[in-house]
Amino acid sequence: MHMADALLAPAVAATMYAASAVTVGTCVKSLKKEENMEKLPTMAVASALVFAGQMINYTIPGTGSSGHLCGGMMLSALLGPQAGFLSMVVILTIQCLFFADGGLMALGANCWNMAFYGCFVGYYLLWRPIMRSSLFAKLGSKAAGRVKIMLASVLGCVLTLQLGAFSVVLETAASGITELPFGVFVGIMQPIHLAIGLVEGLITSAVLLFVYEARPELLMDMNAQNASGGRFSLKATIVILAVVTALVGGALSLGASGNPDGLEWSLFGNAESGYSENMGLDEEHYGIASGAADAAAAIQEKTAFLPDYAFADSDSAVGTSVSGLIGSGIVAGVAVLVCMAGGFFRKKKVAAKA
Amino acid sequence: MDQLSQAQSELREMDALAGMDSPVHRLHPLCKLLVTVGYIVTVVSFSKYDFSGLVVMVLYPVLLFQTAGIPVRLCFYKLRIVLPLVCAVGLANPFLDRIPLLRLGGLTITGGMVSMVTLMLKGCFSLMASFLLIATTSIDSLCAALRKLHVPEMLVTLLLLTYRYIGVMLEQVAVMTQAYKLRAPGQKGIHISAWGSFLGQLLLRSMDRAEELYNSMRLQGFRGDFFYADVPACTGADVGYVLACAAAFVCARAVNLPALLGSLVVR
Amino acid sequence: MMIEFEKVSFSYDGERPILDQVSFSIGKGESVGLIGANGAGKSTILKLLLGLLSGQGSITVAGRKMCRENLAEIRQKTGFVLQDSDNQMFMPTVYEDMIFGPRNYGLSKEETERRVDTVLARLGLTELKHRYNHKISGGEKRMAAIATILAMEPEIILMDEPSTALDPVNRRTVINTICALPQTKLIASHDLDMILDTCQRVILLSHGKIVADGDAQTILRDKALLEANRMELPFCLQGMARSR
Repeated sequence: MHMADALLAPAVAATMYAASAVTVGTCVKSLKKEENMEKLPTMAVASALVFAGQMINYTIPGTGSSGHLCGGMMLSALLGPQAGFLSMVVILTIQCLFFADGGLMALGANCWNMAFYGCFVGYYLLWRPIMRSSLFAKLGSKAAGRVKIMLASVLGCVLTLQLGAFSVVLETAASGITELPFGVFVGIMQPIHLAIGLVEGLITSAVLLFVYEARPELLMDMNAQNASGGRFSLKATIVILAVVTALVGGALSLGASGNPDGLEWSLFGNAESGYSENMGLDEEHYGIASGAADAAAAIQEKTAFLPDYAFADSDSAVGTSVSGLIGSGIVAGVAVLVCMAGGFFRKKKVAAKA
Repeated sequence: MDQLSQAQSELREMDALAGMDSPVHRLHPLCKLLVTVGYIVTVVSFSKYDFSGLVVMVLYPVLLFQTAGIPVRLCFYKLRIVLPLVCAVGLANPFLDRIPLLRLGGLTITGGMVSMVTLMLKGCFSLMASFLLIATTSIDSLCAALRKLHVPEMLVTLLLLTYRYIGVMLEQVAVMTQAYKLRAPGQKGIHISAWGSFLGQLLLRSMDRAEELYNSMRLQGFRGDFFYADVPACTGADVGYVLACAAAFVCARAVNLPALLGSLVVR
Repeated sequence: MMIEFEKVSFSYDGERPILDQVSFSIGKGESVGLIGANGAGKSTILKLLLGLLSGQGSITVAGRKMCRENLAEIRQKTGFVLQDSDNQMFMPTVYEDMIFGPRNYGLSKEETERRVDTVLARLGLTELKHRYNHKISGGEKRMAAIATILAMEPEIILMDEPSTALDPVNRRTVINTICALPQTKLIASHDLDMILDTCQRVILLSHGKIVADGDAQTILRDKALLEANRMELPFCLQGMARSR
């Protein structure tokens, strides 16, 4: 799910950087307040562990394939959301720098897609409310803990991966990179990540369950079961749920209306012209969508950084003229020459040294 | 597991590359970081049909690879991770965007074909630039550059500490997977019965390690401060490099150089 | 006296004592080996000495009573070499690890620099100064860990298994280095040969109590005593015992 630089327009990348940077800033501030020097070594070791742990292949029974660990959910269950987020940011940075997993410019987007949802949404929306609730209390406290961990990790992983995958689609669409209709793209990404999320959730819950049996004090919110926060957190959950739904829904409609064809495609299986008639709607009267579409187009124009999103017949498609092609050939020739020259000088240097 | 030893050897390789010496290695890390970001932004900002305009950007990585003496092979190997998603997104373009742009004899080149190739080139170019940055800059000087950019101290320190322990952890996971494989021949991964305990055991031990580490810091008077070796200041050459690159990028973005060159030849 | 333990007890759960009324004292410049089976309480003693744990009884280190106010001073005068050097060397380079302690204790940049160079020269490690911690060998890492401690110029040096996981040559280098250190030393180890080479005095622990405290040569040759406490004679003395 790592975004590549090429899939992002600079303005989209910058926006995501800004969003992630603000989150990092908030986290650093909140951790300083807590005087959490003590947490720093734990964060470093835990993120190194998650980094290595993500390379372990877990066999999925009944299939030939294997799954991996979900880092965000696990780190926030161990360290809390703020420290977990910072640790994930560090993991993603190292993956980006040393393993070319995602690009330097896409790092902001990747942090958002993979760390923010996993740590904040997963934690505040699922992990904490579930852990603090009195669900399954009649099973006895130990068994209830087990079921709750299982539930929280599986739901958390599914939700965070869905949000992450959806963000990938949104960011790509907002960058105007692909010709793929929005609806199709969503239709491909979401189900794939549903399956991945389920498996990752199960693996993550297995690891957390082991920790729960051996040293439950390492997990967040384990002792807060009888805290009076039960009712509050339920309320908080509903509020957060509403906000997230509104956000996702808003983004969805904005993105979809920015590309009405895509929405059409996904809703009606490419019903083409029948769409308006079936719905008893006229495209022109579909006011909200076209308004939003204009706004989206305006945004897209701004985001495209010198937006000559030229169409084939316009003059600005200089890139594909005959002279352009020949010129490209010349540049390629120069590049080859540079390589040969470099090789020549290196050989000379080696010879001189010898 | 292969992925593990792969990661270990890739880390070692990048370390070795960054430890080499060349004019590029000697540039100030902050300058290299700025130029790299500038390059990637320029590359990505080309319009999706502007194939020939984009092609000229190949000169930056090629020149850098040659000056730094870094084998291009290693970089291509890394493309395997980025390209799948880029391809998945780009491959649909030729089918969806069939507006003809150019006819060469009997061959019609459509907008989709051009935008697909352009997208893949962008992917390769930006990857090469990041690769070159880290292959010519050690992690600690890069972190020094990040501190100069006022990235929070805590994040930078966490990055360094994590990097320090990634090697240790990879080693431990590799040893454990080997031990597992030796007793479970023919299994491709970790069986479901050991899903939790395998990483869980390591996690518990790692938490003990973290405590030891913290103790060791406390014994040395740790109160939240870290001290690093000094990084030499920017020289005139460094500034010159940044300015020259910036000028070149702006020029390449504003003027379609290959088209100009080509028109000289054609007419 | 550099280190004094007076009726020190410690327990994690309040029931099972890890240390039970332990008393001993170590004079300036003494080199003492701390031996005993796994779980005998060796590491606990080291941690109590550093204020990482607190128990009952009174502990005095370098003339200061162990309490919260004196903690910083005690720790500054006490260097602790951890068993796993990876946990001690957490900075990117050896140099940055060596300046960590001195700078944290408020030493000037120049003074720190001087100490780093002196220590590295003394241990013959000058070449390691700017090397990366994740790229140096196990033996080099152990020596570098000792160097980071020496850069703090401690009066007391505590070591936890300084000779484990080293090849014979590296082990010998570490032993020679330890022998050459003039500071007061307390070394916890299962490597009785190393203890024999580096210490004049030995404290033998068993189940949280001191079983024997005295001359290293005497205790380490006492086959019956060692075997009663889950240990055996040092290898270098076994051959002699057999030939006798």
